[in-house]
Amino acid sequence: MNKPLLSFILAVAGWAVFHYGVFPVFTPEEPGWILNRYVYYLVFTAYLIAVNVAMKLQPPMALRGLYVFMMGYYFYDSILYPHVPWTLFITYMMLWAIGTFLYVSQDPVTFREFRAPIVKTIVGEYKMARIVVFTVLPFLVGWATYNSLYPKFAEPVELRTVHPAPPATTKVHGKTYALEEVSNPFRVDEQDNYKDSFPFLDADKSEYMKYVTEGGTVFFENCHYCHGDQLNGLGMFSHVFNPTPANFIDPGTIAMLQESFLFWRVAKGGPGLPNESTPWSSAMPPWEEHLTTDEIWKVILFEYWYTGWHPRTFDEESSVG
Amino acid sequence: MLLLTLVVSMAMAGVAFGEEEIRPPDAVKTDLLELGKKVYFKRCVWCHGVKGAGDGPAAERLFTRPRNFLSGNFKIRTTDSGELPLDESLIRTVKNGLQGSAMPAWGEFLKEDEIVAVVNFVKTLVEDRDFNDAEDEEVTIMEFGTNPWNTTGPYHLGVPQDAIDRGKELFTKNKCFECHGGEGRGDGNPTMKDDWGFPIMAADWQQCWNFRGSRRDPFNPFHVVRTVSTGLNGTPMPNFKDKLTIENRWDLAAFVNSLCPRKKQDKLTSKPVPDFLISSSNTPGTIAEKIDDPMWQSPDHDPRIVERSEEKAGNPRVNYIALAGQITRGKRNFDPKADNLWVTSRWNEEQGIYYLVEFHNRFLSTDPEYPDAVAIQWPAKLQDLFGAEKPYFIFGDSKKPVDIWKASFMAKDYNPAGAPNPAGYQLDVTVEELNGNGFEDVMAKDETTVQVVDSIFHQGRVKVLFKRALTTEGEMDVQIPVEQFIPVSFMQWAGDDKETDENMAISTWYYTILEPAVDQGHILLMAGVMGTVFVGLQGWLVWMTKRTRKMYSDGKVKQDELPF
Ligand code: HEC
Ligand code: HEC
Ligand code: HEC
Repeated sequence: MNKPLLSFILAVAGWAVFHYGVFPVFTPEEPGWILNRYVYYLVFTAYLIAVNVAMKLQPPMALRGLYVFMMGYYFYDSILYPHVPWTLFITYMMLWAIGTFLYVSQDPVTFREFRAPIVKTIVGEYKMARIVVFTVLPFLVGWATYNSLYPKFAEPVELRTVHPAPPATTKVHGKTYALEEVSNPFRVDEQDNYKDSFPFLDADKSEYMKYVTEGGTVFFENCHYCHGDQLNGLGMFSHVFNPTPANFIDPGTIAMLQESFLFWRVAKGGPGLPNESTPWSSAMPPWEEHLTTDEIWKVILFEYWYTGWHPRTFDEESSVG
Repeated sequence: MLLLTLVVSMAMAGVAFGEEEIRPPDAVKTDLLELGKKVYFKRCVWCHGVKGAGDGPAAERLFTRPRNFLSGNFKIRTTDSGELPLDESLIRTVKNGLQGSAMPAWGEFLKEDEIVAVVNFVKTLVEDRDFNDAEDEEVTIMEFGTNPWNTTGPYHLGVPQDAIDRGKELFTKNKCFECHGGEGRGDGNPTMKDDWGFPIMAADWQQCWNFRGSRRDPFNPFHVVRTVSTGLNGTPMPNFKDKLTIENRWDLAAFVNSLCPRKKQDKLTSKPVPDFLISSSNTPGTIAEKIDDPMWQSPDHDPRIVERSEEKAGNPRVNYIALAGQITRGKRNFDPKADNLWVTSRWNEEQGIYYLVEFHNRFLSTDPEYPDAVAIQWPAKLQDLFGAEKPYFIFGDSKKPVDIWKASFMAKDYNPAGAPNPAGYQLDVTVEELNGNGFEDVMAKDETTVQVVDSIFHQGRVKVLFKRALTTEGEMDVQIPVEQFIPVSFMQWAGDDKETDENMAISTWYYTILEPAVDQGHILLMAGVMGTVFVGLQGWLVWMTKRTRKMYSDGKVKQDELPF
């Protein structure tokens, strides 16, 4: 069999198998160190190189150029996440095209090799290829023109910083707190001792559960509409807001934050955010307007108790960097 | 999976119980109570209370209050009216939640054994009745038949029109409208109470995703069949098992379901996915200023799900805008009366821009001090915004003012307790334009350039048609550009709930865009021209390449001598 053709078939078939069969395996709901989309991409690249090397297919330069270009396209189109906006995509692809060109024109030999099939098509040595290419291309150009001129509108993509750097100090109810120094005054004991305790029932028996019960009461009077009865960000009003209310079950929110950061966020809410975090559309209320300082600390205590996460401490902060 | 279990259980209902089965209720499984108590006191107590009396800390501010379990009334069952539910129904309720209320779906949060355990614990909280009392308690497992049209989820399309028509007759004959209103928006009776003495509203059939028993599968007619067969214990919703045969119930369900707009549902929240971009379609000629003009009569269904009739195919999409109570600043509104708005828009250079805003509100205010109202909010100084920047979504902020077009209205000759009025009620509308620099700093402008050209309150639905010129003289008016994304948001006040100022329902920021006029002919011509030019280019390329080759072979030009 024609070696370049075999190489091409193996590439296309391999892609189909990988994309439809293997890709879903590598994109579970919670990506891990191995099971993530980028590792998948590396594996696919390895496959492509391996078959060509192992079977000594030595695809011609034009085909190699095509592979390199398409791998870039595949990366930016399907792998990179979140998906980049259209204009940025075009820019990336232009750069990638230049890269591919540099690759094929690394020296005159490869360049000539790359050109050879193209020239042969143009002058008609590959007759079928010429007929196909020369009829399809003008239609493609017409179609692309139509598509780009026909106005289409998709809502703009907006990026926001979910966890901005907190300020050094914050003033709540007339008192200034240095965020590096404050800690939760109601964290009177080790949280894990109360994993299986009952709010309400044990509130009289232990101080800690009294605070948890009070914090939970604040939460279920005020916060569950957005953050959800399960603290998963799916409260009965949550679907209305954009950005959506934080999901405290997710390891990416309170589990990786310090309690003092939460104190600042809860007290100042959406309006307290810097511009990169789109303060204008965050529905998170500035709770200093509705709650006392003590209530804010208690509701934070409750959020950790309910989810079972532990707040990040200052020491971890410096060691993790 | 959910669907599969449903289909299976429905098939079983049809096959296994050829006759209704009567037996004692499911006894409490005492060995599960310890685990059940743990789950209850960690997860459920906040709403349902320490003794299960529905008086947890959340209760006071919730409109459908958390259930008081003491009397043993459960709404969603497969047993006869007044009877206790089977474990299976309670387990499904806990797994799927009760849509339209605060009761969340626990299926993805708790493990199967925890759910079974907590259900058994909840059964022990019932005081007035006893699940273990095999002598005095019995349950009749109702028969529901099977879906006669074999429609499938998620949208259950393809129910024959004559079934829907028969259903409509049954709707009239059985007087569902006395509670559910003439078009099913729940606007029949403003004075109903549930068995616990709290006010209750009949369900709005046009928002079936808020049916308590929708099981996160809102378009499935089975749920309506179950509701009319069993009634909802503890509420005025009766059963119709003696008035309607099983076939009748399916036809009625077909009708009820046909009223619910097919919109893509968000899997996580079980609500329609909002249409974040409101495209205003360019309308050459004249834009009708009457709401009942065919121009403004698009079906609410997503056109990608339910194909439109030919004459409406070109109409703009009716956009779904989600609303919530404003519970962020100032006086908070925990029980909004509307939970969404529907917006359609058209524009042209000569007449300006039109927004048709619709929302369901069962009952309007009759107190002139608290009129109903709806508003569109814009950045007042669009030109000063940089990138994604916007004013604060609740009445703007000190640096970025908003421009608000507000229509306040009272229905004429209106009596909320009156019979359905097929003609609808005319509205007395007052239009105001406000500037907001924060919720405590909202001022009415002296001059208004916004008009409400038509409006109506019809069978539980308000429609207001706003109009304005694209540009105005006013310095604090939004100037509306063409072909640019413009932030826009919506607000709504329910007069009968005495909502005013920041005590309202609100949406987040959406975008609107005035679509340019499309000259199809011109675009096709350009496509042709570009194609032809390209053919010429190809010819030139062939000629050039051949000429170069000839020069090589003639030896006129020397080809580089690298090995090939
Ligand atoms: C009206 C809806 C709403 C209510 C009510 C609400 N929140 Fe929020 N909250 C949000 C939204 C939206 C976000 C995400 C946007 C942001 O970061 O500002 C958020 C974010 C947060 C965060 C930041 C999490 C992170 O990962 O940075 C914390 C902490 C928080 N909320 C706590 C609370 C507490 C405590 C209450 C009740 C006292 C509460 N929220 C009530 C809407 C709400
Ligand atoms: C945020 C508040 C909230 C929480 C938390 C909550 N519920 Fe509910 N629950 C409700 C509300 C509200 C209703 C009543 C809805 C209605 O009547 O339409 C309800 C109703 C019920 C019903 C009655 C179902 C029926 O068919 O009538 C059961 C059973 C129930 N809840 C069980 C639970 C269990 C078990 C938990 C804990 C795992 C729980 N609930 C947690 C708010 C809550
Ligand atoms: C006496 C008043 C009354 C009549 C008559 C009535 N309903 Fe209802 N219906 C209600 C009330 C009240 C509710 C809401 C109960 C709730 O929110 O828990 C309701 C709820 C419903 C629901 C939603 C169930 C769910 O899962 O939330 C459906 C469907 C329904 N009714 C159908 C009908 C049909 C069909 C008829 C006529 C055959 C009818 N109703 C007649 C009062 C009535």
